[in-house]
Amino acid sequence: MLKRLLSSSAAAAIFLAACATPPATHADLDGVSKAPPALLEVAFYDGDFVDIQQFDTPGGVSVWLVTEPSIPIVSVQMAWRGGSIADPDGLEGLGQAVVYGMNEGAGDLDSLGFQTAMEDLNMSFGCSNGSEWTSCSATMLSDNAAASMALVASALTAPRFDQGPFERFVREQEVSLRTRETSAGYLAWRAQSQALYPGHPFAREVSPESLAALTPDLARAHKDALMTKDRLIVTAVGAISPEELAVLIDAAIAGLPETGEVPAAAPVKLPEVAATEPVVVSLPQPQSLVRFIGPAMDRSNPDFFPAFVLNYTFGGGGFESRLVKTLRVEKGLTYGVSSSIDPNPSFTVWSGGGQTKNESAGEFITGIRDEMQKFIEGGVTEAELSDAKAYLIGSYPLGFDSNAKIAGNIMSIRQDDLGIDYFDRRNALIEAVTLEDVNRVAATYLAPERFSFFVVGEPEGLGPVE
Amino acid sequence: MKRILVAVGLLAFAVTGASAEPASATNPPSTFQLDNGMQVVVVPDHRAPVVTHMVWYKVGAVDEAPGKSGIAHLFEHVMFKETKNIGPEEFTSIVQRSGGQLNAFTSWDYTAYFERVHKDQLGKMMELEAERMVNLIINDDPKGPFISERDVVKEERRQRIDNNPGALLQEMVLSEFWKGHPYEITVIGLMDEVNALTPQDGLDFYREYYSPENAILVVAGDVTEEEVRTLAQVHYAPIQPTGQAHAGRKWQPVAPLAETKLITHADPKVRQPVWSRYYMGTSFSRDRETALALEVGLEVLGGGTTSRLYQALVEQQKLAINVATFAWTTLHDEGPAVIYGTPVSGLSLEALDEAVMAEIEKVLAEGFTEDEVRRARNKLAASAIYQTDSQSSMANHYGANLVLGFTLEEIARYPEEVRQVSAEEALAAVRAVFGADRNYITSHLLPAEGDF
Repeated sequence: MLKRLLSSSAAAAIFLAACATPPATHADLDGVSKAPPALLEVAFYDGDFVDIQQFDTPGGVSVWLVTEPSIPIVSVQMAWRGGSIADPDGLEGLGQAVVYGMNEGAGDLDSLGFQTAMEDLNMSFGCSNGSEWTSCSATMLSDNAAASMALVASALTAPRFDQGPFERFVREQEVSLRTRETSAGYLAWRAQSQALYPGHPFAREVSPESLAALTPDLARAHKDALMTKDRLIVTAVGAISPEELAVLIDAAIAGLPETGEVPAAAPVKLPEVAATEPVVVSLPQPQSLVRFIGPAMDRSNPDFFPAFVLNYTFGGGGFESRLVKTLRVEKGLTYGVSSSIDPNPSFTVWSGGGQTKNESAGEFITGIRDEMQKFIEGGVTEAELSDAKAYLIGSYPLGFDSNAKIAGNIMSIRQDDLGIDYFDRRNALIEAVTLEDVNRVAATYLAPERFSFFVVGEPEGLGPVE
Repeated sequence: MKRILVAVGLLAFAVTGASAEPASATNPPSTFQLDNGMQVVVVPDHRAPVVTHMVWYKVGAVDEAPGKSGIAHLFEHVMFKETKNIGPEEFTSIVQRSGGQLNAFTSWDYTAYFERVHKDQLGKMMELEAERMVNLIINDDPKGPFISERDVVKEERRQRIDNNPGALLQEMVLSEFWKGHPYEITVIGLMDEVNALTPQDGLDFYREYYSPENAILVVAGDVTEEEVRTLAQVHYAPIQPTGQAHAGRKWQPVAPLAETKLITHADPKVRQPVWSRYYMGTSFSRDRETALALEVGLEVLGGGTTSRLYQALVEQQKLAINVATFAWTTLHDEGPAVIYGTPVSGLSLEALDEAVMAEIEKVLAEGFTEDEVRRARNKLAASAIYQTDSQSSMANHYGANLVLGFTLEEIARYPEEVRQVSAEEALAAVRAVFGADRNYITSHLLPAEGDF
């Protein structure tokens, strides 16, 4: 692990250390421009769960790195705010076309050449386009880090967006347009979007028309809008030092545009009172998928941590949740039922669901609503609260036992702007939740009338089929 | 798609690891045996103060009696219910209250239970697993928890298989592929047979198979061999072997396919036709050398976007959306080697079949290049390094291999062995499996009439 420069007993401390070591290794990389030897100022955050090194590269990129020398792997994550909701109207799917093309040829390498180069290095590189974020991820063996990052540099700087891979992307999307029409999860999402926030950017779908309007030139231009230096955040985990990494990152992003604007969306506002009847979408299969969704709160709301703890007892705690205890263990109605809170400020929701045979769909929905009602009337017990806290706090280290999990965690605290000390503050925030907090939040947020229900399948005895 | 073994678990789909890889060189795993016959394996990984504690039992769906399909898996669920010293539904509560995550999964070849916890809780997890190895209570109330758990498993079957036309077709194909072999019935069991299982069936199964001499303990994570030895002596060593543990597993060689067949399934939910061919493959347990060569050869032929088939059918001829090959080599007995593809819009499955098989014939006639075989070998060997990042996947990997009878040395040798496969060996293995004289099962997944 990282050298502890501070002898203080403080569990979490942040301080600066000027590292005068110039980037000695990789100074002679083929195809990678040399960074001038520079003083790299590294802030060491010495945490309970993970030690993070924070620095700005000479090229101006803010990087968080967790050095983990015990296995010879390095992974680098890049993210830019701006995702599929930034697709221009009528060009839904454009962000997908961009990320599809990012490992399909760059510079002198065509698609096969690029894929073969990745195999030769035993590395992987790919990008994704979520609703609000565009991300790229590279995983490599530390022995090959310089050459692997040179390939990433080429992809970020000069992606080709050749016609061949672009047409393959379109063919694959055409299949998705067909198969999504019998995907229970997709149909539930669509029913929810159309019922609760029609016309909002979060409700948009790729269509045959929008797909037909896409071109490689549009993808190339949209890539320059999405992936700019000013909105880039970088995290890395692995067997590499800040000095080595800084040079590789600067070379990788040298060709990106300096600045760019992508539109954001207004937050989705879910109704406080939902329709009483579930929306039913017909799909010929033996089970009905049941989904419920209601408004929640973001992290700035003092109700968030009480709600997070309450959700464990409601539907987040597996066999310790009341939904599973009642609907699975006691009644045998389902293999799995769960709930979760998404505190994303653009779309704060409390949602959940499960699948049950068509004959019992009505009983399943009634069961979920009854459990909500019991929270409002009786709240949770002291024992339930204490069990929830014990699990949520006690299991937290399990999220830090691999490079991949650490990489995901540090990227999400950067994306959500939670602060570098978040991991060390989080358990105290859970511990501070009181029974009064939880029961107040339950009475407000778990009212059954706040939740809209969507059912996909051939449920017996439930309302009109759409 | 590759290497996804069909295993069913208490909560989630279990994906088992690849063939055999070592831990990081600085953390060599070790093994010892308790006096009662229980094998113990320690896989150190000191990056975080976390351990993965697993107990693997040498029993799976392969061992089920005729008419009792699904008992291995339903019984796995019942193991969470109640014991002499742990009240109903308390097992999970105790683990989660200790900050632990837990689950279990069942395959044809094995059943495994695991808890992931802070290292301070390891002793408590051993105490719990040891307790349910000997003191399980199966409630025989005809309307009680055994029955509701059976209903849960029926919902699980609907969710995994009956909702999914592709899974239903695969169940039909595999049943034909393994006709007459214990793998013939899917792990979760046939709905009617599951529905007829009783608490007594559960008890009989428990008494026959659950004992220390039939179990392997795997502990991965921030722990030393000595710490595990000390705790295992306290918690597992006092358990007496029953002497009933099943000595001979019901494994047997899989008979070659007697004839070539087409199995078709049409369903209104299908919006994209899929074509597959299933040939007799092999397994690491039956024929390690051929399995290694086959893995390398199928990587070259249809392993990814750089493979011969993908480049020919998807990139150049533009007849397929996707095409790939893979083999199930990690079961104890022989599994299928599969070629599958999805045609572009307007192309029939028969036409795709013809185009893919013509390409395979061409590739197998002209042979592989040294360069592509080298890349395939390196990719398989490097996967061993990448796997070391995940403590739980390392624990799974060791458990799944040890339970089939492989030694730590054999597991560790994999990267070296795969690097030694020659282009000739890889080609010969693929030629043998897909030879023109071999029988096979073709499967067609199709939209129902009028829906496409």
